[in-house]
Amino acid sequence: MHMADALVAPAVAGTMYVLSTAAAGVSVKEVRKQASPEKIPVMGVMGAFVFATQMLNFTIPGTGSSGHLCGGMMLSALLGPYAGFLTMIGVLLVQCLLFADGGLLALGCNIWNMAFYGCFIGALLIWKPIMKKGASRVKIALASILGCVLTLQLGAFSVTLETLASGVTELPFSVFLATMQPIHLAIGFVEGLITTAVLIFVYEARPELLWGVGETSEKKEGKLSLKNTVIAVAVAAAVCGGVVSLFASAFPDGLEWSMEQVAGTSELEAEGGAYDTAAGIQETTSLLPDYAFKDSESAVGTSFSGITGSLVVVLVTVGACYLFKFFKKNEAD
Amino acid sequence: MKQIEDNIRELNKLQNLQQRSHWMNRLHPLGKLLVCVIYIFVVASFDKYAFDKLLVMAVFPAFCFIVGDLSLKDGLYRMRLILPLVLFVGVFNPFFDRKVLFSVAVAGSQMAVTGGVISMLSLMLKGLFSVLSAYILIATTSIEEICYALRILHVPKIIVIVIMLIYRYFGLMGAEADRITTAYMLRAPKQKGIHYRAWGSLVGQWLLRSMDRASAVYESMTLRGFNGDFRVKRKNVSATDFLYPFIWIVLFILLRHFY
Amino acid sequence: MHTGAKGEILKIEDLHFSYEKGEEVLSGVNLTAHDGESIGIIGANGIGKSTLMKLLVGLKLDYQGVLEVAGHAVNKKNLSHIREHIGYVFQDSDSQLFLSTVEEDVAFGPQNYGLPPEEVERRVEEALLKVHMTDLRTRHNYNLSGGEKKLAAIATILSMEPDIIIMDEPSIALDPRNRRNLIKILNEINALKIVTSHDLDFIMDTCKRVVLLDEGRIIADGNADEILRDKELLEGHGLELPLSFSRR
Repeated sequence: MHMADALVAPAVAGTMYVLSTAAAGVSVKEVRKQASPEKIPVMGVMGAFVFATQMLNFTIPGTGSSGHLCGGMMLSALLGPYAGFLTMIGVLLVQCLLFADGGLLALGCNIWNMAFYGCFIGALLIWKPIMKKGASRVKIALASILGCVLTLQLGAFSVTLETLASGVTELPFSVFLATMQPIHLAIGFVEGLITTAVLIFVYEARPELLWGVGETSEKKEGKLSLKNTVIAVAVAAAVCGGVVSLFASAFPDGLEWSMEQVAGTSELEAEGGAYDTAAGIQETTSLLPDYAFKDSESAVGTSFSGITGSLVVVLVTVGACYLFKFFKKNEAD
Repeated sequence: MKQIEDNIRELNKLQNLQQRSHWMNRLHPLGKLLVCVIYIFVVASFDKYAFDKLLVMAVFPAFCFIVGDLSLKDGLYRMRLILPLVLFVGVFNPFFDRKVLFSVAVAGSQMAVTGGVISMLSLMLKGLFSVLSAYILIATTSIEEICYALRILHVPKIIVIVIMLIYRYFGLMGAEADRITTAYMLRAPKQKGIHYRAWGSLVGQWLLRSMDRASAVYESMTLRGFNGDFRVKRKNVSATDFLYPFIWIVLFILLRHFY
Repeated sequence: MHTGAKGEILKIEDLHFSYEKGEEVLSGVNLTAHDGESIGIIGANGIGKSTLMKLLVGLKLDYQGVLEVAGHAVNKKNLSHIREHIGYVFQDSDSQLFLSTVEEDVAFGPQNYGLPPEEVERRVEEALLKVHMTDLRTRHNYNLSGGEKKLAAIATILSMEPDIIIMDEPSIALDPRNRRNLIKILNEINALKIVTSHDLDFIMDTCKRVVLLDEGRIIADGNADEILRDKELLEGHGLELPLSFSRR
């Protein structure tokens, strides 16, 4: 789901930076208002924790493949939307710097697509209303799954919009959307299940750690064991997700899968293969006019001589750099 | 699990690179950060058909990798995470956009190069350049220095402190993740991942331990007079610290508009 | 230094403490300590050693009884003042070293107390000299070995020039050479040292006075050599003779 710098045009990146900065501004203000310096190390350590848990593989029952935790929903259920959002910004920045997951220019987009939806929508619109009158296993499961699915859907939708608005792809909107959404539906379910399991554990061990749970906490409705809850939720998820969750979970990352899926089915043998398939899907599912964002056949075309000229420039630079290094070394010796 | 080991190895590698005594490492972090971001910005701003002009932007990574003694292989390896989405987005361009831009003679026959092929290549090149540029930054600048630069740019203190803490504890937590999964796998050799029965307890207990660690960190901070504020030692600025970003940024603008 | 009678810098009288609604962890502890003393606090797991330490530095304030550090009662009002006089070395050095480099971490305390840069610099220098880590000054905390981390953690406390240093299990997870090194360094420090440990040999080598705790009370308080040789006393409270005595 992390967007790369190559996929965003400066205007899109700038817009998303402005939006994310605004959300960050609100969050900083809110966190400062609470004025509890205690929260700062918790944010830092929990950020590192979420970052580390993203590397774990979780076996998805009955499929033999594995799912991952992204952690936005989990973080906001523990820290609240504002502190959670700021923590996610930290996680996304460190991720992009250390492991090149995402990019510096696309950071604004990534913060919006993952942190904003996960923390603000997930915590304020889903978690908080559900937990208003106290928490229970069922409510935690409901909020976690609903939260993860919905926020991932919104995130995937934004990725599609941002990429198209950047004008880097010729892929029709509907085809792009039709690949992104179902995959992230499945990813969202799995993430929701893992989040449920973790938050239920926290609820049983240290319920005071959960954010936004009403004062008038109901007595535990604990007839269901953890195992039963997980199974019940898993069945519900399988039914709702239908076929999608079955085929999508076999791949570690939905994006990778969608790539193979589209490319694989159309075989790419006939030149028109993919186009016809895509156009067919598009005709039936079109929501927006296709090529809406395609630029109007700009005059800036590449020519063969242009490429040759550029290559010469680059080669000369490379040579000059080696010379520079050579002399620098001799100087040092 | 392989991913954890890979990430820890990558982290160690970067930390070793950041601690070299190369002159590029000693440059002021703000300059390096600006050069990196502006470079990516300029690269992203090229038209999708302007492959030839975009190609010249290779001079920046070429300079830094050669002069800075960085491994191109390590830089390319960092493409792996963003590659799937970039490929997916770009790989269909040749099928949708078949306007012929020019043709090349290959083995006696004329081969037409279409707009789609060029826009796909541009996209890949943009992806490559931006990843390499970020690698140049992080291989010569530590996260603490980047945080220092962010403070100069008026990024709120709380965000900067959180970034520093995430970075400080990520290494420890990564090692912990490695130990936890190793211990798990040793007793469940036939499983590829964590069984659903252990999802809650494995992650949950680790979470509670981390919360305890967070409060220990907080205690150790308050015992040394912490009240929500961090003080940083100022860095000295030399002429090179101004010249380095200035020259690059001017060059980027020239290449963008006049080449 | 604000000390009471005869250089007394720690005064505990009839100290009681319990966690929310739980059983009493400390029930009537009495202890006074003087400048420059070295006290080992021993006792089995879970008898309130750590709780006592946390009370001393004001991490828990809802206690009953008298608790005075350097002439000031430990309460919310005096907190920042008390913490200038008392340093706490955590069992887990990683919790203590939360900044990136050794020098930054050692400077953190003095900076927070608003000392001028030259003074901060002098303190960092001196603290690192005391733990023999001047060479590792600019090292990153994640690159330190376990032994070096422990010494760096101690330096972060020394830079605050406290009158009292509390150490929670300082010898844990140290190899013999690092352990020996730590003993040497601790013996060079002049402040009042309070060390809790299950490593009774370590206590032997670093403390002149030993306090044995059990069931929230002080069972014995006196000369380290006498208490640590008292097989009956130690075994009666869940401990064993230090190895160096039991071999003979």
